[in-house]
Amino acid sequence: MLELNVIFEAVHRWLEGILPQGLVTLISALGTGGIVLAFLSILALFLVWWERKVSAHMQQRLGPMRTGWHGVLQTIADGVKLVQKEDLIPSTADRPVYFWAPVICFVAAFMAYLVIPFGRGLIVQDLNIGILYIIAITTFTVVSLLMAGWGSNNKWALLGGMRSAAQIVSYEVPLTLSILGAVMLAETLSMVGIVQSQAGGFWNWLIFRQPIGFIVYYIAATAEANRTPFDIPEAEQELVAGFNVEYSGMKFAMFFLAEFVNMFTISAIAVTLFFGGWNAPHPIFNFVPSWIWFMGKSLVSVFILMWFRWTYPRIRVDQLMGFAWKFLLPLAFLNIILTGLGVLIFRN
Amino acid sequence: MAGNIIKEITDGIYNLILGLAVTFKHLFKHAITLQYPTERWEMPERSRGTIVLLSDPETGRLNCTACLLCSKACPVAAISIERIKNPDTKKFEPQSFNIDTTICCYCGLCEQACNFTAIKLTGKYEFSASDKSKLLYDMGFLQEIGRDVKYEKREKTAAKKKAVAKAETGEDVGGAPVADAKAESSPGSGEAKKED
Ligand code: SF4
Ligand code: SF4
Repeated sequence: MLELNVIFEAVHRWLEGILPQGLVTLISALGTGGIVLAFLSILALFLVWWERKVSAHMQQRLGPMRTGWHGVLQTIADGVKLVQKEDLIPSTADRPVYFWAPVICFVAAFMAYLVIPFGRGLIVQDLNIGILYIIAITTFTVVSLLMAGWGSNNKWALLGGMRSAAQIVSYEVPLTLSILGAVMLAETLSMVGIVQSQAGGFWNWLIFRQPIGFIVYYIAATAEANRTPFDIPEAEQELVAGFNVEYSGMKFAMFFLAEFVNMFTISAIAVTLFFGGWNAPHPIFNFVPSWIWFMGKSLVSVFILMWFRWTYPRIRVDQLMGFAWKFLLPLAFLNIILTGLGVLIFRN
Repeated sequence: MAGNIIKEITDGIYNLILGLAVTFKHLFKHAITLQYPTERWEMPERSRGTIVLLSDPETGRLNCTACLLCSKACPVAAISIERIKNPDTKKFEPQSFNIDTTICCYCGLCEQACNFTAIKLTGKYEFSASDKSKLLYDMGFLQEIGRDVKYEKREKTAAKKKAVAKAETGEDVGGAPVADAKAESSPGSGEAKKED
């Protein structure tokens, strides 16, 4: 009854009644983009605040307390501060590369939301290759980080960019392979299809048939998003701030926003692939709107990522590479083989 | 060999979970942050913060008799006093009493040296200033910030009274232990007198 797609469909029908067809398509395209962008911006603001609070309480501090109730407006205040900051460009920077890096980073993070199903019928475009599209589009992040590192003409930034390239390319492999298992069971690449294949109750969720796949996915995705314990591209203690050390003002804000949007993307994919997406854990909970289930599960997953960050120390570069190639990759292959065998035995 | 590797892996996983459990427990512990301007520390009674000059709560006059003991005791010479003789009472009074808090090391020796409970290190803080010259406290300011400081006038202990009495009769000026060990102290004090 509180399903949001009803509202959008009603608006669409109303527009169709009063406007010519071409205009309706244009308006709905722009409108959807605007809504997703607004949603992501608000979400990122909330997540930054939440991360600060979680980290503070894990260290028995209070975190931001002054701006609004328990500091909820802190991120907005920080955003205003960042907007006011001077937009510095290093004199030796490669200007076009330097300028476009944050834009690509942000756009790549944002584009993933084209195929993320927020609820029943609540998806911008249900591509039949949804999950493949996400993997492809999020890989752009590494290009932007490399561009930022190269364009800044700063040795720390370059080191950070190089590290991130090495890391993300390595972890991309187990990440993709870990998703394959879930795709084999769902027999579709479409995000909506994957969610629908898990309908019915929590025992149908793929986590119970793909535990290895989930673990590999979660670890590799944490590395993909440059979160601790895999945050060597921006290791503050070694590289000052890594690839974004020369950035200030709005450009820095875009990198920052993209990081938190990526964190939510990881969680959203994990929920979609392994935790039944918008489905309620049991059919008797179906009266709760599907988007609430999706957001709830995703936010729990985001919390777990934050929890990792404030618990584990950063691992060394060689350990990081060794872990990806010597441990996660064989595990992902094992998962595929086991899944294949399972499908062969139980389906036929 | 294989057993070792498996044990290493299980140990690793156990420790990862242990770490998570520790941080999760801390998430619900009471935060120890004090929200400073609205919440404050209760300063300990004997904390050595800003120096104040104490005044008599009845008359409102400074306890200080301008004996200069504190300025002599101060290891960094932060205290400078000018005194005048009051023609009516024939007693000394401080005319100016300046403490340079930029060089004061808050050792508390001035407080110990004072026999009239006139100078005290308090738990007050928050006297930061944007100009160095504002950290040179004069007599009026020192008296003003000392008005609300509760203190007990130091009573002369029995041993001290004895010592004072001895000093009046021309003998040793010392504390209780000296009075107890008369045999040893008497020759010493005699020598000191000769040197004077
Ligand atoms: S506290 Fe020590 S340094 Fe400061 S004025 Fe007193 S004697 Fe001097
Ligand atoms: S403060 Fe005490 S020690 Fe210092 S001059 Fe006054 S009476 Fe003497």
